[in-house]
Amino acid sequence: MADMQHIPNVKMSAQGVNVLYGEKQAIRDVSIEVDLENVTALIGPSGCGKSTFLRTLNRMNDTVSGARVEGRITLDGDDIYGADMDVVQLRARVGMVFQKPNPFPKSIYENVAYGPRIHGLAHGKADLDEIVEKSLRRAGLWDEVKDRLHESGTALSGGQQQRLCIGRAIAVEPEVILMDEPCSALDPIATARIEELILDLRGNYAIVIVTHNMQQAARVSQHTAFFHLGRLVEQGPTTEIFTNPREERTKDYITGRYG
Amino acid sequence: MSGTMTLFVVVALGAIGWIVARARATRMQAEAGRLATNSLPSQHGWYVALWTALPALVFLAVWANVTPALVLDSVLQAPAAQALPADGFTRSAILGEARAIASGAQAAAFNPQSMTLVEPFRDAARHYGGMGALLAVILAFAGGAYALSRVRPAFTARRRIEKLVMWLLLGASLIAIVTTAGIVGSLLFESMRFFSMVNPLDFLTGLKWSPQSAAMGYGNEDAFGAVPLFWGTIFIGAIIAMVVAIPLGLMSAVYLTQYARPQVRKWMKPTLEVLAGVPTVVYGYFAALTVAPALRSFAAAVGIPGASSESALAAGLVMGVMIIPFVSSMADDSIAAVPQAMRDGSLAMGATTSETIRRVLIPAALPGVVGGVLLAVSRAIGETMIVVMAAGLAANLTLNPFASVTTVTTQMVQLLTGDQEFDSAKTLAAFALGLVLFVVTLLLNIVALRVVKKYREAYE
Amino acid sequence: MTGQAALTPHGATPGAAPAPRIAAPTDWRGEAMRRRIARRYAAERRFRLMGLAAVLLSAGFLAFLLVTMVGNGARGFTRTQIALPIDFQRSAILIDPALLTGGNAEQALAGANLPAVIDKAAETAFGENGARMISPAAQTAVRKAIIADPAILTGTATITVPASEGIDVAAKGQGSAANEAAVARLQQAGALSTGLNLRFLTASDGTDPTLVGIWGALKGSLLTMAVTLALSFPVGVFAALYLEEYAPRNRWTDLIEVSINNLAAVPSIIFGLLGLAIFLNLMHLPRSAPLVGGMTLALMTMPVIVIAGRNAIKAVPPSIRDAALGIGASPVQVVFHHVLPLALPGILTGTIIGMARALGETAPLLMIGMRAFVASPPHGVMDPASVLPVQIFLWSDEVGHGFIEKTSAAIIVLLAFLLTMNSIAIYLRNKFEKKW
Repeated sequence: MADMQHIPNVKMSAQGVNVLYGEKQAIRDVSIEVDLENVTALIGPSGCGKSTFLRTLNRMNDTVSGARVEGRITLDGDDIYGADMDVVQLRARVGMVFQKPNPFPKSIYENVAYGPRIHGLAHGKADLDEIVEKSLRRAGLWDEVKDRLHESGTALSGGQQQRLCIGRAIAVEPEVILMDEPCSALDPIATARIEELILDLRGNYAIVIVTHNMQQAARVSQHTAFFHLGRLVEQGPTTEIFTNPREERTKDYITGRYG
Repeated sequence: MSGTMTLFVVVALGAIGWIVARARATRMQAEAGRLATNSLPSQHGWYVALWTALPALVFLAVWANVTPALVLDSVLQAPAAQALPADGFTRSAILGEARAIASGAQAAAFNPQSMTLVEPFRDAARHYGGMGALLAVILAFAGGAYALSRVRPAFTARRRIEKLVMWLLLGASLIAIVTTAGIVGSLLFESMRFFSMVNPLDFLTGLKWSPQSAAMGYGNEDAFGAVPLFWGTIFIGAIIAMVVAIPLGLMSAVYLTQYARPQVRKWMKPTLEVLAGVPTVVYGYFAALTVAPALRSFAAAVGIPGASSESALAAGLVMGVMIIPFVSSMADDSIAAVPQAMRDGSLAMGATTSETIRRVLIPAALPGVVGGVLLAVSRAIGETMIVVMAAGLAANLTLNPFASVTTVTTQMVQLLTGDQEFDSAKTLAAFALGLVLFVVTLLLNIVALRVVKKYREAYE
Repeated sequence: MTGQAALTPHGATPGAAPAPRIAAPTDWRGEAMRRRIARRYAAERRFRLMGLAAVLLSAGFLAFLLVTMVGNGARGFTRTQIALPIDFQRSAILIDPALLTGGNAEQALAGANLPAVIDKAAETAFGENGARMISPAAQTAVRKAIIADPAILTGTATITVPASEGIDVAAKGQGSAANEAAVARLQQAGALSTGLNLRFLTASDGTDPTLVGIWGALKGSLLTMAVTLALSFPVGVFAALYLEEYAPRNRWTDLIEVSINNLAAVPSIIFGLLGLAIFLNLMHLPRSAPLVGGMTLALMTMPVIVIAGRNAIKAVPPSIRDAALGIGASPVQVVFHHVLPLALPGILTGTIIGMARALGETAPLLMIGMRAFVASPPHGVMDPASVLPVQIFLWSDEVGHGFIEKTSAAIIVLLAFLLTMNSIAIYLRNKFEKKW
């Protein structure tokens, strides 16, 4: 792992990104880099645009009518808004976990198998079974559900559902995983499981997590970016942001003056 | 005094009561001060007006229903009535004619004997009419005087009027129950009479339907087997129509909600809904005039045997088109009820829109869609005009969509139009068919609403 | 942390500390994957096209239906006319010219032997088949001409009269060979012309397609709708107010709600059975009358109004009720002064839609005997009457091209009414729709 550290392993990079919803500018001139070694946390008060920015990274903003993205975002150096970037492929490579667990109303097995199926990643039933098992193991859910794979995914608890959604995302072999406040709907114990999982996934997947919770950002991330009113105020190593922020606004937010 | 005149007088008395009471209450208020009085002057006015008019109106309504019998009684006492023939039918024909001439509804008599009874009728009507008018006016005065005597500062006229309003509102909503009871009651009652002539089991399982032969006196056995009707209804309404309506309705809903630009959606959705607003008699005419002949020539051209100019297919196709908006709007609602998160979840994994729709949205919306289809089926099997005009009368048990079949509703119309004698098995059979139709559509609706409701709850 | 593990797919023990990826990242640029994606996009396009096709097919059917009806029906509004020369002097017309100056000219002429005179004139002018080229409606035209100018009775006049069904249909291009030939002859003689069929809008049912009109049925429909509206609107609105504003939560209220929801789904023909059993057989109201039709349709329309009314009332925000209650209004005042006026546009929209449905309804009216041949417009709600959809149904049973175009023309009139009503409903909804 020592040899990895000096390789500049930039996975995604955003430069001068603006997002507009009609006339309203939601994101102003944001530049950031995401790499494999570090979990990147996006923090800031609600409405600051951090979730909006996250959604630009796999072009989920395309589904919002009237949304416009300016600037340049690359994945492995390719512009993801470029003409030759296929959005279906992009989303397979940049997976996403949502704020509220959103398992499909299908069985646990079918939830995980969905991605590999549509992308044709499995060759035969045995292969698919293996992918499902590995993904669920990876998501730390396997032991809890291995005997009831064919029960509905919506029957699981909230924390289990969210891990199922992570497992579902992993099953497609993404390179980047975007997490949009993945623990905001969960209780502390379930949150702890998800955080462990994030630490566990780090290094194989570039992870970007949007969070409301300062402690969570401090616990799981190595790189933190502070958003305020649609701008990226400050970014840097998490320890630095939390112990010695350069900007007054960052300090105020982290110490709980507003937010 | 004529009925209308009495009515007018009673209402006018009520209006006078309103004015008098209001003036009195206003004066009272001026003396006692605003806060000492419980109700507004106009409320006192209404209280008195209602007491004046309502009892009198109720009396008039009752009177109007009892007078014909009283009039008839007194006419039969008249000397001219002694000459009436004993035979019930001619007797009532003559009496009816005399009554019609007396009231001015008819100008001249067909039977000269009725002319002799016109005067007694007129006299009796005048007598009882005058009596009713007098009683109504007395009642109006009495009610008004009583109410007027109660106009006092402390009198709670407002609360009393509001109580009446509440009773009125409650009464209006009870009409729904009364109607339902009326439907169930009349269907059950007439069906019971039918089933006393025809074995219910024969009716529900018999394979031969020929009420004409029963009417001609060949007996009721074997004539009222309704299975061919049930089959025709299902074949047209639940099979052929659904084969048309489900794919077209579902795909239209999918296209309009998931693909179409807002502008297109804004225009196309109401356009498709026009299909549901076209009267069924228009569809029926279209099916009979345009679709059925085209289908018959087609069947003849490709050599399908048994093609009829009144085919199940023509009726079913057109009915399917009529049902499209129902399926489409139910599918629309169901798909819209699937949380956006579900759609996002699928898209975020790199699924294309159609994969998301086919593999996530439609399966998730399926209970709602199924509920909608059940509602559509219930609508289709109860539909009458299209099948009456396009499906034909031959009670065939056939799988050939180009052949003619008949349906429950077609036969109901057939049995009940034209000359009816109201207690033959033939006319009563229509009520038995109606009962079956009512029960089946009711069950379909209950099941459908359960399914839809359960599904809605799943996402709330 | 686990960088190298990423290079060993399917490798490490699950759950062990250096957690691996479950497999190597997919090679998205590979040939197989590219082909697969192309296939998926093709499927996407196909699916989208299927959706579009479904929409277009449905809309196309509607267009086809309307075009067929308008194509057939437009001819119902025009008629073929023949310029018929009548020599009144030579025909033995049985009328006293003195009667023509008074107000009773119509009656006097009705007693005259005009039909025979017309037949004779037609045979003189157009040969032995002449009489069959003239519509029975020619009488009216001749009568009008005589009243307008009694002087023509002393000489010869050429009067434009409607042609018979056979000639009319042939002139519009669908007649028999014999009639086509007759039309050709008439055209050569310059006697043929096309005019507006005003009679269609002013007459009632008849036995000859050139005689019929829809006024009787239209008036019957209007009377029926008036009865329906007068009964179903107040009852529907009151029931909606009660259920939404005052009803306690108990079994009775549930029963009312269940009844209303079920009534809304009961097939219309069942309401016809109810009308037959209760209104006709039990209460002995007259058959075929707008009163009974209106009552039957009112029972059918009432649930629609209740449901629309409840939705409109529900949409009035509670804050308005609170505000009114807060200044001391009684519950009844709150509802009648504040809630009802605010909900009224929504209720009206629902009412119009319900009325439009009732206007197009046929089946229940057949059950209560409204399929009679009624040749004069009704004067009141107790008179025998027909209604537009039933008239359409009756005419559709007639054979012959003359009735086909009349049926379609009646459908156009019916659709025009429905379209107007629905447009008003949509306009109301858009104009008064409030977002609270």
